[in-house]
Amino acid sequence: MILDIYLVLFWLFSAVAVFAALRVITVRNPVHAVLFLVLTFFTCAALWMLLEAEFLAIVLVLVYVGAVMVLFLFVVMMLDINVAPVREGFIQYLPLAATVAVIVVVEMALVVGSKTFRPNQMAAPAPAAAGASNTEELGVLLYTKYLYHFEIAAAILLVAIIAAIALTMRKRPQTKYQNPAQQVQVRKQDRLKIIKMEPEK
Amino acid sequence: MLENYLPILIFLAVGVVIGGAALAAGMLIGSRRPNAAKDSPYECGFEAFEDARMKFDVRYYLVAILFIIFDLEIAFLFPWAVVLDEIGLAGFAAMGIFLLILVVGFIYEWKKGALEWE
Amino acid sequence: MYSTALEYLPAIPELFLLSALCCVLVVDLFLNERQRDVTFLLSQLSLLVTLVLVVVFHSDSPRVIFANSFVADTMATVLKAFICLIVLGVFVYSRRYLIVRGLYRGEFFVLGLFGVLGMMILVSGHNLLSLYLGLELLSLSLYAMVAFDRDSARASEAAMKYFVLGALASGILLYGISILYGMSGTLDLIGLSEYLRREGTGNIGAVLALVFIVVALAFKLGAVPFHMWLPDVYHGSPTPVTVYIASASKIAGFAFVMRMLVEGLGPLHNDWQDMLIILVVLSLAIGNLVAIAQTNLKRMLAYSTIAHIGFLLLGILAGTRQGYSASMFYTIVYAITSLGAFGVVLLLSRVGFEADRLDDLKGLNDRSPWFAFIMLIIMFSMAGVPPTVGFFAKFYVLRAVIDVDLWWLAVVAVAFSVIGAFYYLRAVKMMYFDNPLDRSALEETSGMRIILSTNGLAVLALGIYPTALLTLCTRSLMW
Repeated sequence: MILDIYLVLFWLFSAVAVFAALRVITVRNPVHAVLFLVLTFFTCAALWMLLEAEFLAIVLVLVYVGAVMVLFLFVVMMLDINVAPVREGFIQYLPLAATVAVIVVVEMALVVGSKTFRPNQMAAPAPAAAGASNTEELGVLLYTKYLYHFEIAAAILLVAIIAAIALTMRKRPQTKYQNPAQQVQVRKQDRLKIIKMEPEK
Repeated sequence: MLENYLPILIFLAVGVVIGGAALAAGMLIGSRRPNAAKDSPYECGFEAFEDARMKFDVRYYLVAILFIIFDLEIAFLFPWAVVLDEIGLAGFAAMGIFLLILVVGFIYEWKKGALEWE
Repeated sequence: MYSTALEYLPAIPELFLLSALCCVLVVDLFLNERQRDVTFLLSQLSLLVTLVLVVVFHSDSPRVIFANSFVADTMATVLKAFICLIVLGVFVYSRRYLIVRGLYRGEFFVLGLFGVLGMMILVSGHNLLSLYLGLELLSLSLYAMVAFDRDSARASEAAMKYFVLGALASGILLYGISILYGMSGTLDLIGLSEYLRREGTGNIGAVLALVFIVVALAFKLGAVPFHMWLPDVYHGSPTPVTVYIASASKIAGFAFVMRMLVEGLGPLHNDWQDMLIILVVLSLAIGNLVAIAQTNLKRMLAYSTIAHIGFLLLGILAGTRQGYSASMFYTIVYAITSLGAFGVVLLLSRVGFEADRLDDLKGLNDRSPWFAFIMLIIMFSMAGVPPTVGFFAKFYVLRAVIDVDLWWLAVVAVAFSVIGAFYYLRAVKMMYFDNPLDRSALEETSGMRIILSTNGLAVLALGIYPTALLTLCTRSLMW
């Protein structure tokens, strides 16, 4: 009974994911495409959840939906692509694309149909115990066995920071802005001038 | 294990149903009599001056990408916090080095003025 | 506690380089425009110390640390040492070019050092994830360096192409890795090769993963038919970045192929040999033939790189220790030679003048007989004319191929090399027999003069006495 619910959920989420992914490449409005991509990520997160990869599912929503897609939206808006001429050259490239697609489908069918990839080739992993935490298991591995890779990840993030700033930061000399440090350091003498003057009658 | 997520699933389902129902109700019950004046964009009573889509400044992009980097860094902190008892001092040091490398990046962006909006 | 700290000794060079480059990054922030030389010198110092540490912490027996993720063996030591040396040269050559174009910024050197770190991680990778992360660290630094000249439309276009195709290749690589991991349940190269040996041949899943991995390797190396990005990137990026990509990163590419295909997927040798044969024949053909039609020196050298990549893979596909060491010899020699070739391009460049057309070489002999001679040696070496080292490099690779009875492949390689010799010799003819288009004096600095001369003479000296380097390469591959 429980298994059936999982199966139903799996089909539901994968159907939505495939539909949304198709819409990403077929809608005309790029902003809508980004929003469909958000939906794709969201349903993928649900699928990962079904695989008991809870932490990764939540990271997918937090990082991809929360941050990367926002960046995508910025880029789409920055480029000011209005309504893209999606189907330009569609017919022209169709024969080539269709040939490649057929070859890929046939190859995948051959591989997936071979004996290495039969579902019964590998036993389904046992479901995790009731109290098991995916986050905890990940943590234990990440900071001990995969310590080296974890530190390389820090170096990669640092390169990303440097690259982003080196490539996009431009000082604009003509902009006027406040310098709070200077404002705070101003003393009375700098600004205030007391003038003695005769009282007027 | 997944039973714990049942409330979330129900919540999602209810959300979809209510959202869909509101849209459907508006479509079915609401009256629609469009005319040219109604469909035109409204801008304080004027004719629209320009297209509503305008270019974003590239600076938003920089802010967003720096946000993503530190968002990822924080994603690494969660499992670490959960297992800190088990991985002991070595794990603590591992995260220390990780953060140290990113603090170098933070100093860099601060000093470069990437955090200023100008 | 003390013993665990000692365990990390083999990784000291990497740890040092990471801390050193963080220091360079921070110090550079507090310097003004005129003090940029401090950054330059600090970067050079970091590389030099890394080089010394690599040699000092070497031990003949391979040591594996970080839970089988990192290996320090002789091959790693030799390749790391050459990477450090070559990047030292790249930085010296780049300095004046960067200064006159207003690109002399600390980030260039920091990104270059990060690239070196990525290459070192790649060279020492003993685990699928280490290899992937090392490659990503290198590639990310390279993308940023290609786009470094932000106001150049051509550089931005090159960076865009490089990034999109490179990211695609990384995705393909990850897909292959995930299939391997899914089947074998291990990321460790040794564990993987044991698993494949147990499985025996005819494992279509492993072959599927292999296809993805070979495609990704070919993309990153620039072997035909995955070479489309290479000429545009070589042409579009600032010349110092082109040197960097053309020299040091090829050594990392060799290490990547060795670790991945030979150490990890060794039991599938028969399968990948066939794939590499196709790549090699196409690379040799397209690289050498299209190079003839180029009028731009950087593009010509890009196609020549493609042809040389063909030779590099030729040695590896032989699948013998002799073949691997010949290929390693070839890679190191190619890196040194290509460093010199682009060094001459950098020497000829001025403000607003890239010196990247083939015509700019015309009459170099009249302007500077010494550097015309250096370029002559380099071109001869690329063409494979004795007594330069390029001849021996090609000779060892061909001998290894003939030893495994792939006669026809050796004949194809020789035929295309002969065709390839045409465009190298045409460059030589232009230097010696044509009249110069401009006669302005070369703006050479003393550092550049010394290093470039050493570079050119090294190509000659290695050709006269190739045994030392060859012995080093053979010894590196005794596992």
